[in-house]
Amino acid sequence: MKINVYGSGLSAWVAAACLAKVGNDVVIDELSDGPMLSLETISIIDDEPGLLGQIQQQIADGRLVRQSSDGEVAATVHWLALQPSEQHIAERVIDGLSQAKAVALLVINQCNFAVGASEKLQSRLANVGDVVYVPDNLQDGAALQGFMRPNRIILGTDSRRALVKTKALFRPFSHELDALQLMSSREAEFTKFAITGMLAIRLGYINELANLADQLDVDIGVVQDGMGADPRVGHHYLSPGCGFGGQNFSAYLSTFSGILQQQRDASLLTAVIDENELQKELLFRKFWQHNQGDVKDKVVAIWGASFKPGTASIDNAPSLRIIDALVSQGVQVRIHDPEATANLQQHYPAEPLISYVDAPLAALDGADALFLVTEWPLYWSPDYVAMLNLMRTPLVIDGRNVFDKDMLQQSGFIYLGVGR
Amino acid sequence: MAVEKTSAWLELQQHAERLGERHLKDMFQADAKRFERFSFSFDKYLLDLSKQRIDGNTLEKLIDLAQQQQLKPWIERLFSADKVNDSEQRAALHMALRQPEGRVLRHEGEDVVEGVQRSLMKMQQLVERIQRAQWRGYDGRPISNIVNIGVGGSSLGPLMVCDALEQYCPAEVRHLNVHFVSSMDGSELEKLLPNLDPATTLFIVASKTFSTVDTLANANTAREWLLAASKQPIELINQQHFIAATASPAAAKAWGVPERHQLLLWDWVGGRYSLWSVIGMPIALKIGMAQFRKLLDGAHKMDEHFREAPLENNFPVLLGLMGVWNINFLDIHAHAILPYDGRLAQFPAYLEQLEMESNGKSVNRAGQRIDYRTCPVLWGQVGSNAQHAFYQLLHQGSEPVMCDFITPAVRYDGDGAELQEQHQLSLANCFAQSRLLALGDSMLSDNEGASSYKHYDGNQPSTTLMLETLCPETLGGLIALYEHKVFVQSVIWEINPFDQWGVEQGKKVATSLLTTLAGGAGDNLDASTEGLVRYIQEQTRGVNHED
Repeated sequence: MKINVYGSGLSAWVAAACLAKVGNDVVIDELSDGPMLSLETISIIDDEPGLLGQIQQQIADGRLVRQSSDGEVAATVHWLALQPSEQHIAERVIDGLSQAKAVALLVINQCNFAVGASEKLQSRLANVGDVVYVPDNLQDGAALQGFMRPNRIILGTDSRRALVKTKALFRPFSHELDALQLMSSREAEFTKFAITGMLAIRLGYINELANLADQLDVDIGVVQDGMGADPRVGHHYLSPGCGFGGQNFSAYLSTFSGILQQQRDASLLTAVIDENELQKELLFRKFWQHNQGDVKDKVVAIWGASFKPGTASIDNAPSLRIIDALVSQGVQVRIHDPEATANLQQHYPAEPLISYVDAPLAALDGADALFLVTEWPLYWSPDYVAMLNLMRTPLVIDGRNVFDKDMLQQSGFIYLGVGR
Repeated sequence: MAVEKTSAWLELQQHAERLGERHLKDMFQADAKRFERFSFSFDKYLLDLSKQRIDGNTLEKLIDLAQQQQLKPWIERLFSADKVNDSEQRAALHMALRQPEGRVLRHEGEDVVEGVQRSLMKMQQLVERIQRAQWRGYDGRPISNIVNIGVGGSSLGPLMVCDALEQYCPAEVRHLNVHFVSSMDGSELEKLLPNLDPATTLFIVASKTFSTVDTLANANTAREWLLAASKQPIELINQQHFIAATASPAAAKAWGVPERHQLLLWDWVGGRYSLWSVIGMPIALKIGMAQFRKLLDGAHKMDEHFREAPLENNFPVLLGLMGVWNINFLDIHAHAILPYDGRLAQFPAYLEQLEMESNGKSVNRAGQRIDYRTCPVLWGQVGSNAQHAFYQLLHQGSEPVMCDFITPAVRYDGDGAELQEQHQLSLANCFAQSRLLALGDSMLSDNEGASSYKHYDGNQPSTTLMLETLCPETLGGLIALYEHKVFVQSVIWEINPFDQWGVEQGKKVATSLLTTLAGGAGDNLDASTEGLVRYIQEQTRGVNHED
C-alpha cells in the first residue's frame, strides 16, 4: 500500500519505519517549515533503541521517503501521528485531502486529541474517505517492539467499508492476535485515555502509600507484595518511586485531565498529576530533611537521569526537578547516566554546579549523598566497599528501591528508600 | 507672619465671600466652556475640576498663594534630599525609591539610588526564588503561601496595590497565594492559619523599626505555630520561614531572621511612603518584578511632572490647592474618596492613612499652634457600593462634603460584552452622581414642585480623576499624585507632613496598662479606665471558674 505518515514525533517515526518494513511504500511528512534535519540529530529518534538503524535501512531500501506531501494524494492510506496539541495541523491535512479529487481514502488517526476528535475529522473529510482511530501502543524505550508485536489492537470505527481495509493494513502486526477489538472511534479514544489515567492513578496511589509507610515505619516492599498477590490488584504498575515522566505519558495525561476538568471542577487525575510533580522532588526532600536544610555547598552524586531505563530521553524526567532543586540551593551535582548525558548538557548549558562523569563510581568522590534516580541495570550491584571509601557521607537515597536495605545498612551506609 | 494673615490668603477669603453665594448650576449655565477651562490632562490622566466651586480667578489666586508659600523652592528642597522632616531631622526621599537605575541622588554623602537598586536586586532574587518554587520550607517542599505581617504603612500600601493589580499576576506564579495580617489581637492569624500548611508557608515580617508591638505579636504567634507543627529547631524555622523587611537589621537579627533573608530600607522612607521599597515585596511576588518596576516607573513619571510642570498645569499642585480652597475658604471639612472600580476598593483606606497621618496636625513647623483648618476627615468606599450606603448624606445631609471620583476610562478591553457593559454602567453611575451632587434639582426636568424630602440642593463640589486604564504604571502615578498633593497642602499650611507624633503616646500608655490588666497596681487611673479594667478582671475570673 502507499501510505503517507504525518508527524515528527516518536509515534510518527515508529509507524513509518514499521509500515515500510512490512513492504508498504511510505512517505513521511514531518510538516516542518524549516530545513530537513539529518536523522542523527533528531533526538527522539536517537534516544529510541534500534529506531535510527531501522529508519536508515528502510530509506536505503527505498520504501521510506522523507518529503513534504503537499497536495500529493497518490497514497490511499493517510496516517496521522501528531502531538496532542496539534489538532489544527491534522485538520489542515484533512482539509487538503478532502479538496483533492480522490475516493475511498483511509485515514488512520493515531493522535490523542480528545474524545470525539475522530468524528470531527471525519466530518471534515466528508465522503472522500473514512477516518479510523487506532490508539498507539507506544512505550518509550520499547516502541518498535510495541508496534511490530502488539498485545492488542483497538480499532475505533463506525464504517464496515473502512474495517476491511484497516484489517488488511494491520494484518502483518496482528496475525498472532485472537481478535482485534472493535468499537466506535469515540469509545476507542476514551479507552486510550482511560488506560493512561488508570496507570497513573495506580502509580500515584502506591507512591502515596510509600510516603505514608515512611512515616509509619513500615516497609512498602512487603506491603506491595501482599497487595500484588491479590488477583484483583495484581503486581504490575505497583512499584513506588520518585515520580513518572516521559513525553507521551505526560502529554496524554494532561490532555485527559483537561477533558475531565471541563466536565467537572476537579478530577482525581488532576490530583494525581499534581502529586506526581511533588513526588519528583522526593529525593531532594529526603536529602534536605536529613541535613535539616543545611545543604549549601554539599556534593550530590546522581545515578541515572533519563526518565526511565533504556532511553536517552529526559522529557519530564524526575531528575530534572531534582537537579533544579539542588542547584537552586547551591549544591554541587555530579551526574552519571549511560545515555542521557548529551541531552542533559543541552538542557543545562553552562551550569557551573553540574558536572558529568563517565563511570558511576567517579560521581561519588567526596559526595555527601548518592541519589539513585533511574534504575539502569548497571547500578544494581555496585562495589559497596569502593563506594564507602569514596563518599564523604555514606548516605544513599534510593529513588527506585533497587538496593537491599539491610545489606547497605550493615555495610555502614545510611539508607533512605521510598517507603522503606 | 502666619499664613492666614498674608495678602494672598486674605485675597482668597474675599474672593470666596463673593463667590460663596454662587451655585454650581449657575456657573455651568454661565459658561459653556467650563470643562475646557477647568480640566487638565497629562500623560494617561485627566483631571476635571469643573465641578469645583471655582471661577477663572480662583485658580489664579490659589497659585498666588502657592507662590507666596514658596511652593516651588519647597519642591526643590524635597527632591534634593533636604531634611524636610524637621522634627525628626530627616529627609523624605520616597522619590529616590523609584528613580531609574543610573541616576544619582546624594544624601549625607552617599548615592541613595545605588543603595535602592541594590536593595531591589536582593528583593528580586528572593522573589524569583519563591516564584520558581525553589524557596523551601522545613520539610523541603516549596513555599506556596506568603503571609505579610505588618501594620500601617507596612500593610495598607502593599495590600491596596496587590488587590488592584490582581489581574497582572502572571500565569506561572498563580500557585502562590499572598495574605495580609495586621491586627494586634491576632484575629486574622486565627482565621488564616488553620487553612495553611506550615511546611509551605513563608512569613514576611515588615516593620521599619522591627519593634512594632502589633507586628511582633503576630510574628511570635506565627513562629510558635511553625515550631509546634514542625518539631524542628528554631534556627531552621527562622531561616526558611521568615523574611524581614526593615530599616533595623540588628533588631531583625536579634529576633532571628538571618542577614541574607533581610531586606533593607532606610530611615528616610516614611512608613506610609514605603510601598515602593522592599515593603512592596508582596506586590512583587504577586505581579512579578517586571510589573513592580512598571509601578515604580509610573510613579517616577509623576515625580518628574510634579518637579517640572508649571504650577498652573501641575496635577499634584492643582489637586492640593483644590483641597485648600474647599477646606480653608469654603469651610468644607469632610472628603469622600469614591473609586468607580472595584479593584480600587482598598484605595480609600490607603488614602486615609496617607492624608490624615501626614496632615492631621495643628502645630506649624515653627512649633506654634495654628488656628486655621488642615486635613479634613477623609473616608470612602467603591462609589457604586457607597451609593447604597452613605450617598444619602452627600445628597441631602447637613454636612458639606467634597468628593474625588476616580475611574479608568477603559476597562475589560478584549473581555466579553457583558463585562464591558458593566463598566459602562459603572461610568454612567459615576457621572450621574457627580452631576446630581453639583447641579441638584436643576438637572431634573420633572422635580418642579416635588415634596421637600425629594429635594436635592446640589452645589457639593467634586473632582473627577480619570486614568486611561488601570495598570501598574497608572496606579503608580495615581499614588504618587496623592503623595505629592499631601506635600503641597503641607507647604500651604506650613506643617511637617512626614512625622506622626500623635500616634506615639498611645503605645506607651498601652504598655503601662498591660501591667495593670495583669493585676499589677494601676498608677492614677481615671475612674472610667479603672472601672473598665475592673470589669475585665471580674469577667476573666468568672470564665475561668466555669471551666
